[in-house]
Amino acid sequence: MNAPVNASPITTAPLLEATGLVRRFGGVTAVGGIDLSVFEGELVSVIGPNGAGKTTAFNLISGLDKPDAGAIRFAGANIAGRSPEGIAAAGIARTFQHGRVFANLSIADNVLIGAHGRLRAVRPDWPIIGPLAELALALVRPASVRAEEATLRDEVSEILSLFGDRLLPRIDQPAHSLSYANRRRVEIARALAARPRLLLLDEPTAGMNPTETAEMLEIIASLKARGQTILLIEHKLDMVMRLSDRVIVLDDGRKIAEGKPQAVRTDPAVIEAYLGHGNIGAAAPAGNAATAAPTLPVTA
Amino acid sequence: MTSWFDHTINGLIIGNIYGLLAVGLALIFGVSRLINFAHGSVYVVGAYVGWVAVSVLHTPFPVTLALVVILAALLGIAIERFGIRPLAGAPRIAPLLATIGLSFVLDQTVQILFSPDPRSVPMQLPNWRLEIGGGSIGMLDLLIGGIGITAAGALFAFLKLTKWGWAVRATALDRDAARVVGVDVDQVNRIVFAIAAALGGVGGVLVGMYYNVITPTMGFEATLKGIVAEVVGGVGNVPGAIVGSLLLGIIESYGVALLGTSYRNLFAFLLLIAILVLRPNGLFASRHQLPPEPMTGTFIAPSKPIGLPVPLLAALAAFAIALPLLIDNGYLIQTLTNAWLYALLGLSLTLVAGTSGQVSLGHAALLAIGGYTSALLAADYGFPVWLTIIAGGLMAAGLGTLLVSPAFRLRGHYVSIATLGIGEIVALVILNWESVTHGPIGVAGIPPLEFFGRPLYDTNAIYWVAFAIMLALALLQVRLLSSHLGRTMRAVRDDDVAARSFGISLNRYKGLAFAFGGFVAGISGAFTAHMYSFINHETFNTHISVLALTIAILGGMGNVGGAILGAVALIGLPEVFRIAAEYRILLYGIALLLLVRFRPQGLLGTV
Amino acid sequence: MISRRTLLQSGTAALLANSVGRSIAAEPTGEPIYLGVSGPLTGPNAQYGAQWKQGFDLALDQINGSGGIKGRPLRYIFEDTQSDPKQTVAVAQKFVADKRIVAELGDFASPASMAASPIYQRAGLVQFGFTNSHPAFTKPGDFIWSNSVSQADEQPLNATYVVNKLGFKRIAVLYLNTDWGRTSKDHFAAKAKELGAEVVASEGYQPDEKDFRSTLVRVRDAKPDGLFLVSYYADGALIVRQARQTGVTVPIAASSSIYSPKFIELGAEASEGVFTNARFFPEDPRPEVQSFVTTFQAKYGKEPDAFNAYAYDTVVLFGQVLREAPNLDRTTIRDTLARVKDVPSVVYGKATFDPQTRRVLGAQSAQLVVRNGRFTLWDGVKTN
Ligand SMILES: Nc1ncnc2c1ncn2[C@@H]1O[C@H](COP(=O)(O)OP(=O)(O)O)[C@@H](O)[C@H]1O
Ligand SMILES: [Mg+2]
Repeated sequence: MNAPVNASPITTAPLLEATGLVRRFGGVTAVGGIDLSVFEGELVSVIGPNGAGKTTAFNLISGLDKPDAGAIRFAGANIAGRSPEGIAAAGIARTFQHGRVFANLSIADNVLIGAHGRLRAVRPDWPIIGPLAELALALVRPASVRAEEATLRDEVSEILSLFGDRLLPRIDQPAHSLSYANRRRVEIARALAARPRLLLLDEPTAGMNPTETAEMLEIIASLKARGQTILLIEHKLDMVMRLSDRVIVLDDGRKIAEGKPQAVRTDPAVIEAYLGHGNIGAAAPAGNAATAAPTLPVTA
Repeated sequence: MTSWFDHTINGLIIGNIYGLLAVGLALIFGVSRLINFAHGSVYVVGAYVGWVAVSVLHTPFPVTLALVVILAALLGIAIERFGIRPLAGAPRIAPLLATIGLSFVLDQTVQILFSPDPRSVPMQLPNWRLEIGGGSIGMLDLLIGGIGITAAGALFAFLKLTKWGWAVRATALDRDAARVVGVDVDQVNRIVFAIAAALGGVGGVLVGMYYNVITPTMGFEATLKGIVAEVVGGVGNVPGAIVGSLLLGIIESYGVALLGTSYRNLFAFLLLIAILVLRPNGLFASRHQLPPEPMTGTFIAPSKPIGLPVPLLAALAAFAIALPLLIDNGYLIQTLTNAWLYALLGLSLTLVAGTSGQVSLGHAALLAIGGYTSALLAADYGFPVWLTIIAGGLMAAGLGTLLVSPAFRLRGHYVSIATLGIGEIVALVILNWESVTHGPIGVAGIPPLEFFGRPLYDTNAIYWVAFAIMLALALLQVRLLSSHLGRTMRAVRDDDVAARSFGISLNRYKGLAFAFGGFVAGISGAFTAHMYSFINHETFNTHISVLALTIAILGGMGNVGGAILGAVALIGLPEVFRIAAEYRILLYGIALLLLVRFRPQGLLGTV
Repeated sequence: MISRRTLLQSGTAALLANSVGRSIAAEPTGEPIYLGVSGPLTGPNAQYGAQWKQGFDLALDQINGSGGIKGRPLRYIFEDTQSDPKQTVAVAQKFVADKRIVAELGDFASPASMAASPIYQRAGLVQFGFTNSHPAFTKPGDFIWSNSVSQADEQPLNATYVVNKLGFKRIAVLYLNTDWGRTSKDHFAAKAKELGAEVVASEGYQPDEKDFRSTLVRVRDAKPDGLFLVSYYADGALIVRQARQTGVTVPIAASSSIYSPKFIELGAEASEGVFTNARFFPEDPRPEVQSFVTTFQAKYGKEPDAFNAYAYDTVVLFGQVLREAPNLDRTTIRDTLARVKDVPSVVYGKATFDPQTRRVLGAQSAQLVVRNGRFTLWDGVKTN
C-alpha cells in the first residue's frame, strides 16, 4: 500500500539538494548545518520535536527566509537566496504549518491563486511592458484569456474533488468561513494548482481528528501514486511510516538520523530525542472536533 | 560657515518640541499598534487648559502643569474607553479612522469654546536666557528638554522595572498572548493612553508658552511631525522617539541652512522616507529583525459585503442621470458633481487600500499630479483639454506609481506613514519647482472643461460628464476586480507572504493597483483643475488624503459601490449640516465616530 | 498684563455682540436685501471669517440704522466654506440660484475664491473678493471685482518707507510662501532695488510654520541691516520673538498685514520697535477711520484690525453701490460698481474702481511703529 509506486532513479541527481543549511535567530541556531535531498517521485518526511528547525528549513527552501550559510540546488539550479516568487516559478509549492489561506477570497479564488504562476495568456512574458499588458488583457479579456481562465476553473473543481465533498459544495464561500481542517485542505489544493515539481507540506494534519487524518493520508498517498514529489513535515508517526520513502529526523537544528522509516524508528538517537523532549507526535491528543483551533501541543 | 553651531542648537530646540509629542505617539503605537491622529488634539486641549489656568484662574506654574496633566490624562482615558476600546474586534483600520473623527470633534469643540483666534499664553517662568553661540536659549527650552528627557527616562524605567511596565511591554509584544497569561490589557491601554495624553497635554501648554501662541488648529501639523519623529526613532520605541525628534529637528535645521526655509519640510519628509526604506524599524533596530508586522491580513477583517441587485444599481444610475432634469437646483447638482469627483478618488483609494491592502495617506498627491499635468499642458502649452485630462490621468498613474514604489517593500501602518510623507513631498515639490509649476502663485486661467471641442460651463453638463466618467471608471474597476488581477491583489492584501510563495510579485501587483488607481485619481484631479480654473499647491492638501481614506473606509474597503456611496455621504454630510454653521464640522466628526463605532466594516462591507 | 485683560474683555464683548446684533431696534422694514458671503467659519482659517463678521455687522448696524437701502434692510448670508474649494463651488451655486442675493463677497484664500469665479462669472453674479490680492483674481471676467489692495500698489509704499525713510540698505525679506506673500515680496524687492537697496536674503515660509530660528540664523548670516516681513500677525509675531532669541538685532519692518492688536499681544516685548505701513490706523484723523474705530470699539470692546477693516469697508461700499443702483439687478450692481466714485473708505480714504482691472487703485498708508505696546505714528527717526 505504501510501497513506492515509481521507484526513483537514484542514479540521477536529486531534484532538491540542500547542503550545509544554517539559519540563526539571534542566539538561537534554528537550523545548524543540515543536508537534505529529495529525488524525483520520492516522498521524504522530516520529523523531529518542536523547535527542531523543520519549518525554518521549509522557509529557507521556499525562499521566505534566507540562509546564513549553505546551498540549495533545485533541478540543477542554485536557488538559495532567491525570492519566494522565483522559487515558486522554479516549481516549488508549499503549505504553511498554521494555515495561511487568503481569508477573504473564496475557495475557488484561493486555489486559482495557486495557479497564478501558470497564467500565460493574460501574463505575456514581455519585458517592461509586461505588467501593463497584463492590466490591459485583464480588462479587455480576449478569448484566449477567457479560455485560460475557464480551463483553470475546471481544473480547480477537479483538484477540489480530491477532497470529496469537503470543499466542492463550498467553492464560493470565503475561506475565513471554513473550518480549520478545511482551510488546511484549501492550502493543499492551492499548492496542487501550482502543479509543482516539489510539494512541501508542513504538518498537513495538524488539528485534524483521526478520521480526517486518515482521509488526508489517503489523499497524500494518491498524490504520491501520481508521481508527485513531496517533502513532508509530520508529527503523526504512523502516517510517516506508511507514506515515506525516506525519513529525516531533526533535533535542535541538526539532522540526527536519516533512512528508511523502519530503520529510523528504531534508531536510538531518535528515540532519545523524542523521549528527551517528550513524545510529541505519536501520542498527540486525538479526537478534537474538526472546527477546533490547532490544539496540538505544537508551537512554531 | 560659523553658524553651524547655531543651526545645531536650533535643531535641538525644535527637536525637543517634537519629542513631547513623539514620545506619546510611540507609547501608544507600541502598545496599541495605532497611529493616534487624535494625539495632536490632546495637545491642543492641553494648551487651552493651560491657557484657562494661566489667564483666567491665574494659577502658579506647577499648579498649571498639574491641572493640564490631570485633565489631559482623563481625556486620554476617555478617548481609549469610548473611542478605541469598542473597536477592539473591528477591522484594524477602524481605530485609525476613529482617531481622525476624534480629532475633528476635539479641535472643533476647542474652537467653539475658545473662538478660532490665536491666543497668547503668558509665560510663567522668569525670562532668564542663556547666551549660546550667536543666539540664546531660555529657561523654557531647558524645561521642555528636561521634561521630554525625564519623561522618556521615567517611562523607560516604568516599562523596564514595574509590574505594569512589564504588562505594557507584554501587551506590545503580543496582545493575545498577554491576555492569555493574565494581563489586563484594557487596564494597560488605559494607563498608556493616560500617560501619553498627559505628556501631549503638557507639550501643548509648554509649546504654547514657548511660542506665546495657541490656536485650535495647531494639532494636525504637530501630529504629523510627531509621527515623523517617531518613525525615525523606531515606531513604538520610547527613547528612540526622543532621539528621532532631535535628529529630525537637526536635519530640518540643516535643510533650512543649506537650501532655505521652504525646503524645511521637504527635508523632514525625505528623512522619513529614507528611514522607512533603509531602516524600516527605525535607526536603532538591530539588523536581523522579523518583518515589522508579522500578522497577516493586517487591516481587513472578514465581513460580508452587501450585494446590491443590479436592477437597483441601474435604477440609481438612471435617477442620477435624470436628476438635473427633475429639479432645478444648481447647488445640489454641484455638490453631487463634487461627490462624483471624490468618488473617483474613493475608487482609487479603495482599490489601493481596500483591495490591495496598501493604506495610502497621501492620495491627494495623485490628484495634484493629475491636476497640475492637465492644467499646465492646457494653460501653458495650449493642448486640448480632453487630451490633457487623459494625460493627467496617465501622469498620475506613472509618476504616482514611481513615487510610491519605495513604499512597496513596507507593510501595514508603515505604508500609511510612507505615503503620508510622499504626499507631503509632492506638495512641497510643487511649491518649490517654480519654473514649471509657478510655485505659490499657482496656475490661474486654466481653460474650462470641454466636450468634443465645445467648452463646458453649464452646471448640468459638467455634472453629466463627471458622472459619466465616474461611472465608466467604476465599471472598469468592477471588471478589474472580477479578473485575475482582482483576486491577485486581494491575495496580496490578505497575506503577502503566502502570495509570494505562489509566484506573485508584490511590486508588480502593488504597482498595477497604484497605476490603475493613480489613473482614476489623476482624472479626478485633472477634471477638478479645469472646473476650478485655478489650482495651487494647497488645492489638494493632506486633509483631502484623509477625506479619501474616510470615504474608502466608510463605504467598505475595496467596495466599488461603497466608494461612491461613501463619497456622496462625506461630501453631502457637511452640506446637510450647513444649517449648523460653526457646529457643522463637530457634527460631521460625531457622525463619523458613530459610523465607525457601529459599522466599522463600512456601509456596504469590505470586499 | 494689558493683553490678558483685553482678551477677556474681547471674549465677553463678542458674546454680547452676538446677541445684540440680532435685535437691532431701529431697522427699516421691508424685504431685506442680501449679500452672500462665502468664507471660513471653521477649519484652519476660521479666525478670519470671525473677524469678517465683526466688520460686516458693524457696517450693517450703521447702514440699517440710517434707513437701510431704499427702505429695506441689508443683510448677509454667511456660508462657511472652510476656505475649501470644493465647498466654495457648491456655495457659489447656492448663491447664484438664490434670487435674493445681489452680490457675493469672498472667499478668503485664493485657491478657494478663484475656484468659484467661473461659476459667478457665468451666472452673472458679482464676486467681490476683498482679501484676494492674487494678481489674476479679477481676470476671469467682468463680474469678478476686488477692493483688496493690489500688492503692486502697496509694496512700493513699503519699500519706500523702509529704504528711503528708515534707511535699510541691506534687506532680508521673510515672506509667507503663498500667492499673496510671493507676489508681495516680488513687488517689494523690485521697488527696493530701484531705490538702491539690496535684498540680501529672501526666505519663503509655510503658513503653518512655527519655528523660525534656523531661518533667522540663515538671515543673520547674510548680514542685513534690516528685516522686512511679508506676514500675517500670528506668524509675524512668532518671527519677531524668535529674531531676538537668535541674535538678530537689526530693525524689523513688516507689511500692513501684521497690523492687528494681536500682533502686539502675541509678539509681546519683541514687537517693540517693529515698523509697519498700515492701510489704516486708528489714530488717523480721517472721519471714516475715526467713526469706524470708535464704533468698533464700542461694539466689541477692542481695537479693530486689518481684516475687520476690509470687511467693514466692503459692506460700506456695497451700501453705497446699492443705494446708487437704479435697480437691484445683478448686472446693474456690476455696472454701478464701475460708476461709484470716491466711496468713503477706511483703507483707501476714497475708493474708486478702475473698470478695466476691476480693482481699486491708490492705497493709502500710515507709517507706524510699535512703541510701549501700541502702534503709533512713526516719529521720523531713522534707524540706520
Ligand atoms: N522568525 C523567527 N525569529 C526568531 N526565532 C525563530 C523564528 N522562527 C523560528 N525561530 C526559532 O527557531 C527554532 C526552530 O523553529 P521551527 O523551525 O519553527 O521549528 P519546528 O517547525 O521544527 O517546530 C525555534 O527555537 C524557534 O523559536
Ligand atoms: Mg513547525
